[in-house]
Amino acid sequence: MTNEMLRAPAEVKYAEELDWLESVDDGPKPFSWRLSPRMVRLFVLGSERSDGLEREIPQKWFGERSFVERSIVTLASDRGLLLIGDPGTGKSWLAELLAAAICRNSTLGVQGTAGTTEDHIKYSWNVSMVIAKGQSRASMIPSPIMTAMEQGVIGRFEELTRSTSDVQDALISILSEKYISIPELDTDNIVFAKPGFSVIATANSRDRGVNDLSSALKRRFNFVRIPVVTSKASEAEIVRFRTTELLRRHRIELDLPPTLLDILLQSFADLRAAAASATSEDEKLESALSTAEQIGVLEDAILHSNFFGDRTLRAQTLGGALVGSLARRTPEDLAILNKYWHGVVEPRSKKEGGEWTDFLEGGRQAISTLS
Amino acid sequence: MSTFAALRGQLLDAATAFAGGPDALSEILAGLVDDVDRALREELEIFPVCHHSPASALAMTRRLRDRQPKVIYLELCEDLRPLLEELRNCRLPVALQAFATELEGFPPGSGPLSVVAPLTEASAEYQAIAYALDTPGVELVLVDRSADHVFQWLPQEEAEPVAAEHDGDLHGDAVGVEVGDLRPRFAELEEHLLRHGKVRHWSEWWDQYVEQPLAGADYDTYRQAMALIGSLFRRLGPGGERLAGDEERERHMWTRIREHLAVSGADPATCLYVCGAFHAVSTVPEFGLAADAPAYTITPATATRWLYGLIPSSHSAIEAQFGLAQGSVSIAAATWAKATTRGGLTPYRLRGQRGTRSRTTPVRAAVPAPAEQVTDRLSGFLVTPPVLDGLDEAELRGWCVDLVRLARRNGYLASTADAIAVFETSILLAGLRNRARPTPYDFQDAAVTCIEKDVVPGRRDIRRLCEILLGGDRIGEVGYDALPPLARDVYDRLEPLGLDPGRRTQQRALLDLRADPELVPCSDLLWVLRQLLPEGAVRPIMGARRLGERPIQESWDLAIGRHQRSIVELGYEGVTVEQVLEQRLRRKVREPQAGAGVALAAVEDAILYLGGRRFADELGNRAVELLAAERTVDDAPEVLRRIRRLLAHYRATQPGLPAWCEAFVTAGYAHYCTLLPTAFVDEDTGVRQVGAMLGFLFSMESLALSLGCDRVQLELAVRQAHPQEPAKMALLWAAQTQLGLLSQARLRARCDELLANPLVIPSFPLYLSGFVQALEPFPALAPFVVEVLSKAFARLPDEVLLPWLPTLITTLRRHALELVPVLVREAGRTFPASLAELDEWVAPWERPALSAVPARPTGGPVAGLLAGHPQACDAVAALLGCVGEWPTSAVSIAAAPAVGELLTRHPAATGAVAALLTG
Repeated sequence: MTNEMLRAPAEVKYAEELDWLESVDDGPKPFSWRLSPRMVRLFVLGSERSDGLEREIPQKWFGERSFVERSIVTLASDRGLLLIGDPGTGKSWLAELLAAAICRNSTLGVQGTAGTTEDHIKYSWNVSMVIAKGQSRASMIPSPIMTAMEQGVIGRFEELTRSTSDVQDALISILSEKYISIPELDTDNIVFAKPGFSVIATANSRDRGVNDLSSALKRRFNFVRIPVVTSKASEAEIVRFRTTELLRRHRIELDLPPTLLDILLQSFADLRAAAASATSEDEKLESALSTAEQIGVLEDAILHSNFFGDRTLRAQTLGGALVGSLARRTPEDLAILNKYWHGVVEPRSKKEGGEWTDFLEGGRQAISTLS
Repeated sequence: MSTFAALRGQLLDAATAFAGGPDALSEILAGLVDDVDRALREELEIFPVCHHSPASALAMTRRLRDRQPKVIYLELCEDLRPLLEELRNCRLPVALQAFATELEGFPPGSGPLSVVAPLTEASAEYQAIAYALDTPGVELVLVDRSADHVFQWLPQEEAEPVAAEHDGDLHGDAVGVEVGDLRPRFAELEEHLLRHGKVRHWSEWWDQYVEQPLAGADYDTYRQAMALIGSLFRRLGPGGERLAGDEERERHMWTRIREHLAVSGADPATCLYVCGAFHAVSTVPEFGLAADAPAYTITPATATRWLYGLIPSSHSAIEAQFGLAQGSVSIAAATWAKATTRGGLTPYRLRGQRGTRSRTTPVRAAVPAPAEQVTDRLSGFLVTPPVLDGLDEAELRGWCVDLVRLARRNGYLASTADAIAVFETSILLAGLRNRARPTPYDFQDAAVTCIEKDVVPGRRDIRRLCEILLGGDRIGEVGYDALPPLARDVYDRLEPLGLDPGRRTQQRALLDLRADPELVPCSDLLWVLRQLLPEGAVRPIMGARRLGERPIQESWDLAIGRHQRSIVELGYEGVTVEQVLEQRLRRKVREPQAGAGVALAAVEDAILYLGGRRFADELGNRAVELLAAERTVDDAPEVLRRIRRLLAHYRATQPGLPAWCEAFVTAGYAHYCTLLPTAFVDEDTGVRQVGAMLGFLFSMESLALSLGCDRVQLELAVRQAHPQEPAKMALLWAAQTQLGLLSQARLRARCDELLANPLVIPSFPLYLSGFVQALEPFPALAPFVVEVLSKAFARLPDEVLLPWLPTLITTLRRHALELVPVLVREAGRTFPASLAELDEWVAPWERPALSAVPARPTGGPVAGLLAGHPQACDAVAALLGCVGEWPTSAVSIAAAPAVGELLTRHPAATGAVAALLTG
């Protein structure tokens, strides 16, 4: 089944691993959870030798242990979980992993947008069926959240702060009373949440102020703030992990040379430092320079060298991909990249030579093409 | 699972990971057993401790209560011993400090050296100290190397610790020493333990795997476990310089112990050796009383003079100094308080110790003492049951409720529901983390999860509030009796203000010196303290000390309590603050880079804060020396400002100028005359400096001439000056005008020429800058400067004028005090004050010239008097070489009827004058 999907959800992708974990799990499980909290943590963060398991469980989300622990514990409590952080910090991925581990279903999700309405959270009607048969449970279309309530599983709400306040407020009663009433029906008009139901929402901290959460809703969520990864070692780990996955997905066989990964990480670190010391928005790249962005650059370079190159990832391609992905505004972003290329990459290529020289060349070409 | 199984697993795992092979592992394991066995078999009972560990403190208390030793050897710098007696006057935590500024035997420039050893109540060493000092017949011997050796043995790269002074930093840049430093010696091992222990930082690992299981353990188990950990870290450690230093210390300690035993003849069975677990399993040949290693010679101390004192410390300062996680020492203190209450154990406290709450009666009956008769040590290591009771739950509930209340006070929208959520989450987290009961760390995490939202509403976030709740940062205070004489003197002298010197908050002191003249000494002291203490310790809100001013009212913000360390350290420099200030001023003027300006500032400070003329004169003489030796005129403006002020002060208060002032003026006159021509042409010397030199020369001229200087010198200097820069040129012209070498009419003509010449116009603003600077040395030139400025504003094209305006404004702003009043006064005199007048106003320099010869007074009493007695005028005229005639039409007094009438009515005055003149 995995092969027929462009991107399989976590519960499908790791189905075998989850089955095995479930079979060896002897810890107490809250509600209808498929795994005990400790096993959920183990699934997300990977196993250690001291865990005494027969097989090794790879790490899937890279970040501080306490964030995962706090998230799991929140889901076992009465409150919803709100993962908040900069774009590209792995919030949605963590949410997906948690939902997959806890209830083997990470697809019951609503995407928050300016156009999300209350119907998307509660229920809507199949109009033709209503005309034909009248309003009944059969002609009702439950929302993913309502389905999650009925099944006692985790519902997901992506980008909560993108949706408008009235839509957000619809969540308040769901999270506190744990039921949805359907006033249109005379009988069977309340859907109660089964034990095990909870909501994982994500919010982008850069969107703060667009649609701020009301304090009533805030109270019903526990906030877990996911910071941008700053440790170079764990960032390298994330990029390698995600890129391997992408390569597998695209069925590309291509080596990722460690020196190129170093160049990518180093240049992102430099650009982040430059952004941190910038005084105005014009001196900053528009991109958040997150880890996800790095993966994007790498993916771009890999695809490019696979289809238009000689199936070897080269520094030159990487340089071009980096400029191509990060130059969003002309002339501001291009000016910053140009400055970086001449002020940092050029001296470095002179000093260290090797791949940096190609990287310099590739970036230069891309900048001159774009400007 | 037994209490220690987890710890055993952790240690075994670490040993496996770092042993590097199965053979090495078995070797290490065998070595561990040997180490522990050796430590426990030693004839002199060794008590292994870890710093800031309540479990160590508990075990120590139990051990001391159980069997009372007669001699205690403690791993602490041996020269700090006399300070320990003073601990009872302090509120803990305080730090014992050894301090040295006069170094001998250390590389120059490495001072001041400072060693601190902070002490908290929740520590084994404090228990040992309190027991030993308050129990008659018990001797406490400190056996570790002295403070001097700390620096002698310090690896060179650590010799210069980076001083990061911030608010919570109570220890300054001192090198910290502590009893029982126990931590993995290399980062990989620590990281391994943290990762496998699933904890965030070292303090949490220690708490979970050692502290909690050991809290209820019996003595033997405690010793075994500690020795085991010490041994593992020692065996896995990297060796190198640091281990060599530790071994040196161990040799030192054992040598001192042996020396003491030999001298005192004490029975080793009645002695106890308290040292870090790392040292308890030492492998040096000197280890043990039975060791037959050759005698170890302790290197002699250097000749450095060390001073000792106590300084306040705090939990956060200890954490920062020793790299512990934030809040860990506070949590240890809370754990200790809980453990003593619960265990019904009475900890030792020094008699008269301040700041500790009197112990309430234990709420619970004492837990039965751990079985002493455990014969099988290994099973003792494994069987102690976990202590779990209702008290923990009640405590956690209390924390939750209190935290919510605290959060609400800090702006969070927290409610009872949050308290419930925190409680539930804490328990869930502890379960997830495999802990028997929620630790403070779990509680903290739970609180952050449930209450912290996207923004922190107040100053403190939830993590900080948890720390406050769990005891907060406790800050120690050194008691009055333990303070050095200087600090006590300061406290005594500030007493009239009625403030509490121990309070750590800022206190406001209001001094109405007119109503309460007895507060004047307080005010004097505060001003001295302001010079000596760091920024913020004493801060005047209202009132200033300047020469020639007398204070009437002052108000001060005082934070003496918060800066107690600074005051204590001042105590190392002298006996009174005045003495310290005197020394500092003297040092300041003797520094190689000191200039005349610095020395004059020191003179001013000496007059303001120390009174007494002798010292000011000494500094003044130094100022003369410095001025004569100066080769640049960079601080001429500063010198001019200060010497003017000082001269004004002396003229107003003393019958004559001090000799040094006169010497300074004559030396300055000659010095600046000599340097003037160079300064005019030198590109590095600014207009401001040249202006100040001229200011000195012209405004001190009369004094200098009266002291024997020669005016010709100045005239020559001005004649020799040939500046190139327009600004300096303008200054020179001004000087020439002042000296009479150039008439004002000529100067005006020159400026007009410049303005009329299109080639020069772009540089005209530079001339203007020169003229503006000339306002200070030559205030008489002010009307002319106003005239030139007005003309420039009127005639210069915008593209020349506008770019220069900011320069003018910034110059005026920077030197507002000297330049602006003169300029404004003159402008006020020149320009009309109202709009109505403006219409008819003509600039004075554009008015048609009045007749050259001013109308001679044709009448009046003066003319009458002169006409009546022409001899004096004639004599003056003859002297000056003027030839003149008296007008023939002498005016009679009668011509002015009013005067005539006045004189007729009051003839007495005229009669008296006439009598004087004729008589």
